[in-house]
Amino acid sequence: MEKHAVQLAGSTSEDSRLKTLFKTLSKQKMLMLMSLPFLVWVILFKYIPLWGWTIAFQKFKLAKDLFDQTWIGLDNFKSLFQEQQFYLVLRNTLVMSSINLVLGFATAIVLALLLNELRKVYFKRTVQTISYLPHFISWVVAANIVQTALAPEGIVNVLLLRLQLIDHPILWLGVGEYFWGILGVTEVWKNVGWNTIIYLAAITTIDPTQYEAAEMDGASRLQRMWHVTLPGMKPVIVILLIMNLGHILESGFEAQYLLGNGINVEFSENLDIFVLKYGMQMNNFGLATAAGMFKTVVSFIFLIAANNLAKRMGESRLY
Amino acid sequence: MRNKKWLQSSLAVLTAMTILLAGCSNNDPGGNKQTGGNKATEGTSGEVSTDPVTYDYFAFGTNKDVIASNTTIGKILQGQTGVDWKMEYVVGDASTKSGVMIAGGDYPDVISPVGELSKLLDAGAFIPLNDLIEKYGPNIKRVYGDYMDKITNEDGNIYILPFTANVNGYLMEPDASSTFWMQRRVLKEFGYPEVKTLDQYFDLIEQYQAKYPSVDGKGTIGFLTFAGTPGEFFTITNQPMHLAGYPNDGNVLVDMQTHEAKLYMASEYEKRWLTSLNAMNRKSLLDPETFTANKDQYLAKLTSGRVLGYVNYAWQIGDATNNLKAAGNDDLRYVALPIVFDESITDAYIDPPSFVNNRGLGITVSAEDPERIIKYWDNMLTEENQKLIQWGEKDVTYSVNEEGRFIMSKEQLANRNDNEFRRTYGWAYFDYEWPRYGNNSVYEDGNAHVPTSQPEVAAVNYTEGDLALLKAYGLKTFSGFYSEPVERAWYPAWSIEKEQGSPEQIFNQKAGDLQQKYYPKMVFASETAFESIWNEYIAEFNKLGSAGFEKFVTAKVKDRIEGNW
Amino acid sequence: MEHTKTARNSSIGDKIFDVCNIIFMIILVILTLYPFLNMFALSFNDANDSIRGSIYIWPREWTLRNFEYVFNESNVFYATFISAARTIIGTIISVFCTAMLAYTISRPEYALKKFVSMTFIFTMYFSGGLIPTYLLNKELGMLNSFWVYIIPGIIGVFNMIVIRSFIEGLPEGIMESAKMDGAGDFITFARIVLPLTIPALATVSLFVAVSQWNSWFDVFLYNSSRPNLSTLQYELMKVLSTSSATTSSGGSAADAFANAQGNVTTVTPTSVRATMTIVASVPIIMVYPFLQKYFVKGMVVGGVKG
Repeated sequence: MEKHAVQLAGSTSEDSRLKTLFKTLSKQKMLMLMSLPFLVWVILFKYIPLWGWTIAFQKFKLAKDLFDQTWIGLDNFKSLFQEQQFYLVLRNTLVMSSINLVLGFATAIVLALLLNELRKVYFKRTVQTISYLPHFISWVVAANIVQTALAPEGIVNVLLLRLQLIDHPILWLGVGEYFWGILGVTEVWKNVGWNTIIYLAAITTIDPTQYEAAEMDGASRLQRMWHVTLPGMKPVIVILLIMNLGHILESGFEAQYLLGNGINVEFSENLDIFVLKYGMQMNNFGLATAAGMFKTVVSFIFLIAANNLAKRMGESRLY
Repeated sequence: MRNKKWLQSSLAVLTAMTILLAGCSNNDPGGNKQTGGNKATEGTSGEVSTDPVTYDYFAFGTNKDVIASNTTIGKILQGQTGVDWKMEYVVGDASTKSGVMIAGGDYPDVISPVGELSKLLDAGAFIPLNDLIEKYGPNIKRVYGDYMDKITNEDGNIYILPFTANVNGYLMEPDASSTFWMQRRVLKEFGYPEVKTLDQYFDLIEQYQAKYPSVDGKGTIGFLTFAGTPGEFFTITNQPMHLAGYPNDGNVLVDMQTHEAKLYMASEYEKRWLTSLNAMNRKSLLDPETFTANKDQYLAKLTSGRVLGYVNYAWQIGDATNNLKAAGNDDLRYVALPIVFDESITDAYIDPPSFVNNRGLGITVSAEDPERIIKYWDNMLTEENQKLIQWGEKDVTYSVNEEGRFIMSKEQLANRNDNEFRRTYGWAYFDYEWPRYGNNSVYEDGNAHVPTSQPEVAAVNYTEGDLALLKAYGLKTFSGFYSEPVERAWYPAWSIEKEQGSPEQIFNQKAGDLQQKYYPKMVFASETAFESIWNEYIAEFNKLGSAGFEKFVTAKVKDRIEGNW
Repeated sequence: MEHTKTARNSSIGDKIFDVCNIIFMIILVILTLYPFLNMFALSFNDANDSIRGSIYIWPREWTLRNFEYVFNESNVFYATFISAARTIIGTIISVFCTAMLAYTISRPEYALKKFVSMTFIFTMYFSGGLIPTYLLNKELGMLNSFWVYIIPGIIGVFNMIVIRSFIEGLPEGIMESAKMDGAGDFITFARIVLPLTIPALATVSLFVAVSQWNSWFDVFLYNSSRPNLSTLQYELMKVLSTSSATTSSGGSAADAFANAQGNVTTVTPTSVRATMTIVASVPIIMVYPFLQKYFVKGMVVGGVKG
């Protein structure tokens, strides 16, 4: 909050500029009326609770007041960064969220393009509706289905054996190296339909005359998808990409927790599980908060970098 | 709130619904105020009144929320005291719930904190009960008298009344079980042999499997345990302790003479257990999914009848194996055996008389009328009411035979065990998480406090197959398989509270992580590789600094022996 | 789809593409429909029988017992009403407010545009944590109130960005001409922008409605002792936790005692979860097909341009 205030003050340091600003603002009363109540809201609900970050510098006890807490400086950060395990879980987090990001984007965009090419409206709507169903299934249920499918006698092994691609059943969740792939596919299966919705909405804004023009020029189906539909979706894709890059340290939690086991733990344990085990479950709020702050810093770095890159490339950007 | 007003005026469409909802959120406080008013009147009158009043009860156990007087037992107790309870149970993450309770500073009148005790104590959520008990609690004193040192906190105060105060001696559960289960057809096949050691147990499985590699077209699974979900990993790691002849003290073995607590992790015991599992695996007798199957998959295997032997605590799987009982084929059912490493070891599967002092019910600082609550508890603890709470009403839910023994018909027992009936009657709410007689208590008249501990009642449930099996081994009850428990004054060591974020707690977590990582490697290792992986494991273990942990537990154990719980 | 209809003289390549596409979609449908069919089968199958496994898409031993259990165990009907109320009210308020805010930050001339957007966008990447948030809502008097479901979530930043980028995609001429006619910003927003961004609003409404419908954590935190403010998801969570046979606290026999006492259960967590999934998700799933009719290509935009 303060940061922006400073910025604002900096940009209006000269009196004349301040005056012009106020002049402009007085002309924009309605816009202010339409946005400032929400500014109050965001400060109240999002910025004021940030006092909770002080917990990262305390040996926090729930029952005590802010001023009665034991202040321990950077100890929580130290115990976070000095933990060897931390770097392993950081690796896992980054890999898994990168996989999810790439796979998630690619599959949703492709599915949106293909859905858009379906000719029968009712078939299209039915597929759309069905494809987003797994989103409504809790991870517990989804993980259970995945585990059953991947069991030695599960459908995946049965199929692969029938197709003679393997000669004995594979214990999929019993090989650590497979975990990232399994997780990526599971995420796609669960969320691809849901992720497609926003692209389908974006496609609706494409001017139909563009298709007609492309057709006149003799463009094939694939060419129209490539030259008309995809560019039409691009602003939304870029915006979502920037936003999601900011979430690079959020690789999900439940899926890893539920599909994880002793054998694949070196690949499945991510930052959130680590924080849960050494922070939340031990009521070590300090460590958990320190980890949260670390995530925020990383988020901002990625967010700002991605946004600047988009700006430089002349794409739509977040702010 | 500014937004709220603004929205209400600008979105006229919603006003109707808004009023409706505002209406229902405002209604309720009115309803509650009534109770508040009552509380105030009692506070002023010196005597403890019997005016109707409702208090809030919150438990970190699991159950369905209820108003106590909607149950038979609750209604009877309300008739005696005028007190009713709004009983709420935690849903979702207990730690979060206790966290916001503490942060907000508003507590229900009484709380059963289960795992949240140390946090709530730390926050000063509970009031000391010493004076209240002295003044209003003759029955409380009778029941908890022998345990005063155990229920008194380090600061000299009593904050919670635990659930395990055994009264009038100690009655053993008739159907105790170990963690090592074997399918009955295996025992039958070999003429009900004596199975005592781990080698014998595994050997029998091997012999049977060699003879019957598949039954009804399905391959048999030699041996299985529940290690596929992180939360249940203790199932596999706890076994060296039991095999070495110790009861469940968590992750330590406490020496009977010196009272030194030693970790059995990374010990010869653990190595022996893992070596055996490794051997089983090399013979393809261990289920390959041991470390990957989730609970549903695990239970599906157990109930398929294909598994010859498995390891877990009976309470972990609840009544899943009832499927096999219902199917009526006793040969496919399982029986738990007193398995240990060597003939010379005495098994310790039956828990020694124990007192769990970190589970209990306490009165919070928010309670306006602790006197009446204590009176209510005291009234619960009369022998008559304890009978009501466990057995119900005479000639309704149980009967008394000519010798004065309490008995239950098949139907009565079915009701006692039926979850829905237990709820409407109130057993589900009152037979635990309240001040009570411990499970092993005996009434003055010699009847067991807990119906299932009454041999007459336990026998009602035995099938013909059960009786045949017991006869073959010359036993009356399944507990007959096991040795008599030995007195261990500190038991159970797992209930020793470790401070939040303390080195002990972190050690615990790290040790568990290490086991989870290395167990699969060692079990699935080739014979030659086992030793080197074991050494790697030991090296990692040595980095954890176990000495401090052992010292901590030893000190606490010794404290307990001296009466400082 | 209108444009594809115009492709009359479809080539062989087009046909091959269509066939492949349809086959792909059918595979997708099978893969994504399976979990639901599985939940359906489990919810209608005898719970104890389900433990044996191998239930796929059809129940083996039919029973309505799971549904009876779920409906008996809780005040599902009243809670459904509250869920519906928070979904409808929450969605209308949130989408309207978010769209209005999105409009202001889409106006290039707005002096506070960048400041306001950044102030909101940054909040996506940090959180003060659970305890401060809880205390704030408590201080604001929102404990035990319906408004705690609505007010803390009034603006969805993600949704704000989505709507903004749609508004920015609108031809600038439309808003210019409205301004010429003397319309103020609010009128422009309400009369011109809202109708033109219907696909975006439908998308965002779906997002908000689904998260409103599914959320139970706020009930757990703020209203757990108020049965009259309980929601369907929370009631189902209760049913699930009651049906769980063992505690998750990991290996303490004392905690398990209470559960071990009750010997006869007719339901299992697996069956209850399946039944819950069916009960809780079927109503909200119905929302999407209804919204799909707003996903019509280039409705007004093209029209205005032409």
